[in-house]
Amino acid sequence: MSGRNIMTDQMSGKNPTGNEQIEPATDDSTEYDFYFGPAHSGSGNFGVKLKLDGERVISARADPGYLHRGFEKLMEYRTPIQNAVISDRLCVLEPLNWNLVHAEAVDELTGIEVPERARYIRVLMAELSRLQSHIIWYGVMSLGLGFDTGFRLAFGYRDYILDIFELITGGRCYPAGYICDGGVRRDLPEGYAERIKNVLDKIKGFMENIKSFDNLFFANRTKGIGVLKLEDAIRLGATGPVLRASGMKTDVRKDDPYEIYSELDFDVPTEKQGDANARCTVRDREMEESIKIIKQVLDRIPEGKTRKPSRIKRPSRTKIPEGEVYVRNEIARGEACIYMRSVGESAPYRVKVRGPDFLHMIPVLEHLLKGCELADVPAIYWSLNICPADMDR
Amino acid sequence: MAEIPQQRKENKLIEQISSKFEIEGTVQRDRRVWVTTSKDNLIALCRFAKRLGFHHLSAISVTDWPQEKIFELTYHLWSYSARILLTVKTKIDRADPKIDSAIPIFQENAQIHERELHELFGVQFEGNSDLTPLFLEDWDGPPPFRKDFNWRDYVRQKYYDRSNEREKPYWE
Repeated sequence: MSGRNIMTDQMSGKNPTGNEQIEPATDDSTEYDFYFGPAHSGSGNFGVKLKLDGERVISARADPGYLHRGFEKLMEYRTPIQNAVISDRLCVLEPLNWNLVHAEAVDELTGIEVPERARYIRVLMAELSRLQSHIIWYGVMSLGLGFDTGFRLAFGYRDYILDIFELITGGRCYPAGYICDGGVRRDLPEGYAERIKNVLDKIKGFMENIKSFDNLFFANRTKGIGVLKLEDAIRLGATGPVLRASGMKTDVRKDDPYEIYSELDFDVPTEKQGDANARCTVRDREMEESIKIIKQVLDRIPEGKTRKPSRIKRPSRTKIPEGEVYVRNEIARGEACIYMRSVGESAPYRVKVRGPDFLHMIPVLEHLLKGCELADVPAIYWSLNICPADMDR
Repeated sequence: MAEIPQQRKENKLIEQISSKFEIEGTVQRDRRVWVTTSKDNLIALCRFAKRLGFHHLSAISVTDWPQEKIFELTYHLWSYSARILLTVKTKIDRADPKIDSAIPIFQENAQIHERELHELFGVQFEGNSDLTPLFLEDWDGPPPFRKDFNWRDYVRQKYYDRSNEREKPYWE
């Protein structure tokens, strides 16, 4: 208990540097509150209230709400094409994946057969977005562990993918509802395949680079830290890479396939240890799988239309047929779902957004932080790859 | 029309549940089963579903129907083994929105969903001891996601300065 020693040194009034006497503490308690967040460069707008005894965390309580924008309510007043733009903002780091979840919900209600080419473009964009999101995760994870080089490297390489997004969707971070109901907003520009392949080569270089850093600091700071057992993971509602790192082989793309994922060949990487290091390894391997998927899509992408109906009607004339659907997708952070209820008007009657981070940031994080050392908090926090935007909505 | 093997699994699930509970069940498509039951059966049905392998509570949602004077609750359960999404629906009275908590079955996962829905819709989950607000700070108005809460009016009243001529177009 090194933390306790420091505290007792201070209380006995010893001062190693100067002559000035430190006021002895009147209370001999070593417990205190520590607020982690809410405006850290990596944490996003989210805080955790920690109760510490020396340097050990006794309990943690998540404090969400800094990014609550009431999207579910806003969507009840807007047409699908407007909601597609709102769905970008559900998660800052992977807007295209959320675009896809929303578009699928509307498509399932309207029953429109999405053109084959649009399906391929959707998967292409979703996988590029996943790759980009994992690269950001590597950046903030490095930042959290005090490894600035990793952070700068990751955000530099991420920009290559953002260039592709700009080329295809017109927006770098937010694609403004590129994946919308019925397909995608516009066709791929000329020479896209060549440029994507070039970027993938660069990303492969990045992945070689980060492998060489593993022994430098990653393994030391993450092995055996924040162990999440499989039964706890299921109970707490963990999904995606967090659940896979605890030993469950599950992936919505395989178990509940959507778009063209059932036709593609890719693996679902899993680890058994359930610690922060396992979660990192799973994401590293997932990046390789995403590259594999993107290459397959580029090879097979057919010609044809990209949206049905190809001409956009006036929003007030389009109505969503009555019904209700629950759409599940695998995004970079885990399971993303939208429950949509329609009563036959141009706007949906009720939209419920289920983001993976709602569970990862509150029950899972609180569970993992309980009993850990203060110095391990960043490693656990960023190993979950959390983003407050889809939790607060 | 010949049934595909996957859908046989869905139909069997409905049969299994209807042998124990009074339900209305439909197979929407592959891997999607919707079941409607009464408020009293809900917890027992969820417990039965968990025994069948539905370990993952994906989400709980509330839909507000002011005209019918009800809240509709939907529980979305996923089975990692059978690979089916089972949605359990039930209705509660809008004037007295009380329902038993699902914490005994889905523990912390249900707890956090219920906490959110209590804040946004004002549904009382009996047996959930921690229903403190998640998102809204110092909010004392009606639950904001209810259909009869007019947020446009609220914003007009609260955030625009009536003495300021330039803000007139917003609140007028």
